[in-house]
Amino acid sequence: MFTKILFATSGSPCCDAAARVAFDLAARYNAKLFVHHVLGVPSRGFSQVVVDVRTGEKVELDEDYIMWVKDELKNTYDRQLKSGVDCEIETSVGIPHREVLRKARQEDVDLIVMGASTTGCEADADAYQRHFAGSTLQRVAKASKAPVLVVNRPVASFWGGFTNIVFGADFSKASEHAFKFALNTAKELNAKLHVFHAIDIGSTHSLISQKQLDDQMIEARDRMRRKYLIQAGDFKNITADIWEGIPYVEIVKYAREKQADLIVMAHHSKDVSDEDSAFGHTLEQVLLRATCPVASVNRADKI
Amino acid sequence: MPEGTICNKRPVASREDLDALLADSNGKKYYAEMEELDVDAEKLWATIQKTMKSRTKTWLDICAHCGLCADSCFLYSVNGRDPKQVPSYKIQSTLGEIVKKKGNVTNEFMRMCMDTAWSKCTCCNRCGSFCPYGIDMGVMFGYLRGLLHSQGFVPWELKIGSGMHRLFRAQMDVTVEEFVDTCEWMVDEALEEWPCLEIPVDKEDADIVYMINAREAKHYPEDIVEAAILFHVAGENWTMPSEGWEMTSLSMFAGDWEACKMQVDTVYGAMERLRPKRMVATECGHAYRATVIEGPYWAGRPDGKPPVECLHYVEWVAEALETGKLKIDPTKKIKEPVTLQDSCNYVRNAGLRDCGRIIMKHIAEDFREMAPNKEHNYCCGGGGGFNGIGRYRKQRNVALKMKREQILATGAKFVIAPCHNCWDAIRDLEEEFEIGIRWSFLKPLLIKMLVVPEHLLPQE
Repeated sequence: MFTKILFATSGSPCCDAAARVAFDLAARYNAKLFVHHVLGVPSRGFSQVVVDVRTGEKVELDEDYIMWVKDELKNTYDRQLKSGVDCEIETSVGIPHREVLRKARQEDVDLIVMGASTTGCEADADAYQRHFAGSTLQRVAKASKAPVLVVNRPVASFWGGFTNIVFGADFSKASEHAFKFALNTAKELNAKLHVFHAIDIGSTHSLISQKQLDDQMIEARDRMRRKYLIQAGDFKNITADIWEGIPYVEIVKYAREKQADLIVMAHHSKDVSDEDSAFGHTLEQVLLRATCPVASVNRADKI
Repeated sequence: MPEGTICNKRPVASREDLDALLADSNGKKYYAEMEELDVDAEKLWATIQKTMKSRTKTWLDICAHCGLCADSCFLYSVNGRDPKQVPSYKIQSTLGEIVKKKGNVTNEFMRMCMDTAWSKCTCCNRCGSFCPYGIDMGVMFGYLRGLLHSQGFVPWELKIGSGMHRLFRAQMDVTVEEFVDTCEWMVDEALEEWPCLEIPVDKEDADIVYMINAREAKHYPEDIVEAAILFHVAGENWTMPSEGWEMTSLSMFAGDWEACKMQVDTVYGAMERLRPKRMVATECGHAYRATVIEGPYWAGRPDGKPPVECLHYVEWVAEALETGKLKIDPTKKIKEPVTLQDSCNYVRNAGLRDCGRIIMKHIAEDFREMAPNKEHNYCCGGGGGFNGIGRYRKQRNVALKMKREQILATGAKFVIAPCHNCWDAIRDLEEEFEIGIRWSFLKPLLIKMLVVPEHLLPQE
């Protein structure tokens, strides 16, 4: 299932939770792990200056600095590296999301693991903030062929593998790819798949009538069956539920109830450059709140 | 020491030469070697006699030192009206002295000339518009840079940059294979949203051949796919060459005329090989100047023109909007106050001042002109290679002040900068001074505002 995993890290503490998941996954599924750190945006011709993630200082980019950063990464992930995972530590220079995508394409990885945001960690927030933090994740998630597994905070329900997978269905085209990924993962890893849809009654300002709600339930049930469940075939380890509420709240609650160790959702926001619409409200909120890793799936290529 | 191991009169000839330069952190060793570099006075004078034409001689002779050029120079204004920043002084005290002394100058003098040529002039050519005699210091500084380069007195980054052109025919180490792969990669990424999108490579007899700045291929290839989307929506029959796609010329900034010719010959070779009707250049000022304005002379083309008609991106966009090839959804026009940076290289130096205004008319509801503007606009603050030279970072940051004041005076928080160099300078300006502005190329903006024909949209 996962033979090559790319862990894109800033090397700062905000990536620690993602590191744990990346190394655990690589160990459990015997995958090759690429630990990739983008040093920064080149902006001074060939005398490149980067902002060091830890110190926030501008540093001349040279061989010594690159060696030092690699050593720091080795020290940071020292414990995990000793676990015997087949791991390569690499740095690159460029715009972070592009270099992560470049590496993923070069190595044809099956999964990218990232932290959700460097908020609170980034000493360089005012320097190139457009390219760091959440926007890197958004851009990677939008263009990546491989699913992007996001780990935003120390996960309470992840023990190194996937046993309960929640798929957040929204009936979009991208969500079909996400469902296939969730189904294949559940089948291959012998996990339980919980298909879930939340009818959005939280963002409507007028009170929704019971009749309307019932109608929406019926329609959603029908769509869920036609779009997803029918594809399960003889895979029986699958459940389906529809709740109503504010979608991201319901997804997080549902995942908690099912003791999910993975949530799978589609990312189909059209425009990642616009900060307001970035990522789509629901997925972003789930990423920030879930206590398990969240996979954003946008394409069919690596499913 | 006649010559150093990395700072010398020899241009970069191999990957080893280039790697040795790149391995030198911030050019420390390079500049240390430069302090010991011998000036070959005989060769310098011989070069001057062979290459200095009557225009430069006349300009040096007739300059009355009247000082009317002073206020035209933004570097003079932002440096407290320092007399040493008056354009006529800058050129007379450098090139003028070298000529007067018939090349008999010291190492120290040559280093002063280098500092002046690359940190006190961006070759924006604004002074030439205000001189009563039409004397253009920018042109003369270009010439001086060539002399300095021939003697090895060139900033470290630009020696690397021109070396890149010599080895890769691009300002960055992008090979033909990497370039073609990047095009395929970008199509891959975009196909879901733009079915049937193509980046046709090496298509012969297309209407348009599209050429770019190597930074797009190297660092932000989204720019390539954005161009592809716009050509796709406009229904253009277009292509990109697998070789000869790079229009920029850091060698022009370096004064490495031999490398300039090598580079532009490759570009013209691609035009001749693919026989397009027209060439469209990406949103880059110096790339256009190198390929369209200066290139024909480097290449020795008898008509002084490139092999095919060449358009800067703003020309193509203005034409596409005016003819209706591209349509803007009026509800998606930019509502906030927005201003436009005029790139010296294609506005003042190529006369394309109106294209930007035509585009603004179509895409912006509240367009605010900078003052001064069009061909009288000031350099972004980082032109002529200034942006990329670490040695002169401090001076470059001071130079950004003029653009900062111009932008602030418009009241706009959003700047459209259809030039890589201006885009960089404005980004750095925000980093340095934090005036709360945003900046953009044209392509991503246009894509957001387009009316896209139904048949080009993905079928849900």
